[in-house]
Amino acid sequence: MKLKFFATYRDFTRCKEADVTAPPDVWALLQHLKGQYGDAFGDKLLTSDGTDIGCETIILINGRNAGHLNGKDTPLSEADVVSIFPVVAGG
Amino acid sequence: MNAWVGTILRVDLASETITKEPLNLKDAHDYIGARGLGTKYFCDEVGPKVDALSPENKLIFMTGPLTGTGAASGGRYNVISKSPLTGTIGAANSGGYFAPELKYAGYDGIIFENASDTPVYLYINDDIVELRDASGLWGKTVYETTDLLKEENGESFKVSCIGPPGENGCLYSGVLNDKHRAAGRGGMGAVMGSKKLKAVTVRGTGSVSVARPEKFMEAIIDARAKLKAHPVGGAGLAALGTQVLVNIINESGALPTRNWRDGSIFDEADATGGESLADKYLVKNKGCFGCSIDCARVTVVPDGPFKSSGEGPEYEAGWSYGADCGVSDLAAICKASFLCNEYGMDPITLGATIACAMELAEMGAIPEEDIGFKLRFGDPHAIVHLTEAVGKNEGFGKILALGSYRLAEKYGHPELSMSVKKQEMPAYDGRAAQGMALEYATSNRGGCHVRGYMTSPELLGVPFKMDPLVTEGKAATLKIFQDLTALIDSAGICLFTTFGLGLPEIAAQYREAVGTDETDEEILFKGERVWNLEKHFNIAAGVEKDTLPPRLLREKLPSGPAAGRVAELGVMLAEYYELRGWDKDGVPTTEKDGATGIKYEAKVLCDV
Repeated sequence: MKLKFFATYRDFTRCKEADVTAPPDVWALLQHLKGQYGDAFGDKLLTSDGTDIGCETIILINGRNAGHLNGKDTPLSEADVVSIFPVVAGG
Repeated sequence: MNAWVGTILRVDLASETITKEPLNLKDAHDYIGARGLGTKYFCDEVGPKVDALSPENKLIFMTGPLTGTGAASGGRYNVISKSPLTGTIGAANSGGYFAPELKYAGYDGIIFENASDTPVYLYINDDIVELRDASGLWGKTVYETTDLLKEENGESFKVSCIGPPGENGCLYSGVLNDKHRAAGRGGMGAVMGSKKLKAVTVRGTGSVSVARPEKFMEAIIDARAKLKAHPVGGAGLAALGTQVLVNIINESGALPTRNWRDGSIFDEADATGGESLADKYLVKNKGCFGCSIDCARVTVVPDGPFKSSGEGPEYEAGWSYGADCGVSDLAAICKASFLCNEYGMDPITLGATIACAMELAEMGAIPEEDIGFKLRFGDPHAIVHLTEAVGKNEGFGKILALGSYRLAEKYGHPELSMSVKKQEMPAYDGRAAQGMALEYATSNRGGCHVRGYMTSPELLGVPFKMDPLVTEGKAATLKIFQDLTALIDSAGICLFTTFGLGLPEIAAQYREAVGTDETDEEILFKGERVWNLEKHFNIAAGVEKDTLPPRLLREKLPSGPAAGRVAELGVMLAEYYELRGWDKDGVPTTEKDGATGIKYEAKVLCDV
């Protein structure tokens, strides 16, 4: 499964993309990322109580926001592309 | 006096008469200021069928009640006139430092009437207000004009001016202040040029007082703290600027590519995004008056064929010259964007017009001899060359200066202009974000993203998430966003404050500044009144109905999360009109006019 990192999250990952074996769902992916890139990144990805996707993080699965799918329980598969952003805006 | 300084300058450019008249406080109360108040003055004084480039059109610079007060990001003004590009009411909004200076000189706004025979500029030094000869400035760029006026009058003077495209009638030329801040859209620069008015320069040593200083201070401290704490309004925009949007809009399948022909995923987007800009060319960020967001980019391309320096590019310019033209060379995108500031042109319309020309050229609709070279998508040299051609009014640039609609119509394919009411839509595909489709169609100044910004909930999840692919709920949210945006624009603060603030914080600053006890909802309703007045003007002007280019209504997106979708405008539009209290054709009903208190008939009956 392909992971893509953007904006200031590249400061944590030190890479733009990574290939990983697909975890079962978004929640498992977030735990993997926390382990891989450190607690500081984990703090960004998760809510302060560590129970859900953090409000400062946007996770797109094949371009669809996890919030419009099944949130942290959205299942993942090897063919998926997951894009991870800090909340950004502008225009 | 309650956030206003109380005087409007009225400048008759034909007779060279300058009068100082009291601000209409009743209208300032009802229409807030800036965009709303300027539109009210305009609608009271100018007929909707006026030729936008005739002397009978008027040009209004108007500040808001929060301009120059210390309110969060409160340094803005609007330039209001009838747009020569769209035929709609035109209200273009700019930041920087010019507008507070105008208030400190003692003036809430300026109304320019008629036209001068020879180039002039308006000199304001507190009480001294004079029209001065601008023959030596005519033909100069925005940068040159600004430097020359500061050299002549003093570094402390602020300058708002036009470049050569404004003088030459480019239909999307802007009015630029502080060199890089633009009242950019709708061709306000061309109106100014038609009046032979090159610039306004101002120095003010006064101040602005508010009605309830202590409570006002509490309100702005609260607002500023919330902005600082927000991940976007705080650190986010300062770090990567607006160009950070390229990747998330692209990953969401909503970045229009090659004149919206090839869907909305640009394979080389990352090379053009805010991350790449920060890595390669960003020198520092900077901000406007009274702003802590500091989103502006100071940028240098140090070498190579596109060696240049300036400010930006902002996201919309980065898109128009990037994905929309199929160009991935960030240096070329930067240079083209800088040139738009230097000459004084709207980069959204210009980049999108070049993209339209690229499609027309590739399909053989424009003879190569008309352009002078083989124009194709993806050519970085072409975007820079053609931008300069428009700036200098040379060759094919003379046709591009009319915008994409008139270009595409000339060559037999008006349907390929990606515009609404003849103004180009910016950088979000309405097929992948249905609320944006409705926003484009209903915008009172033609294709525009800052008359509501549905992108924020649909694609960015700020301040809440809405599924971009559904139509349900979009009309109701858009109406609120449009009214709130009208309030923000009219108050004289920056729309980006919504990346941290909501109606309560914005209304609180307004309430304490002007000294009113109106509720949040009553203050928001003033934004709705502004929106309805703009709509009345457009209807009376005979502006075409609210719709979208056929490409969005009929051509399905080929890939991405919105693959197979078109903009489902019909169902949303009917719901929107009903929520607005308008009839099925989008005309405000008598009942709605009764609620807003708008009586828009006088100038319709006696068109100039």
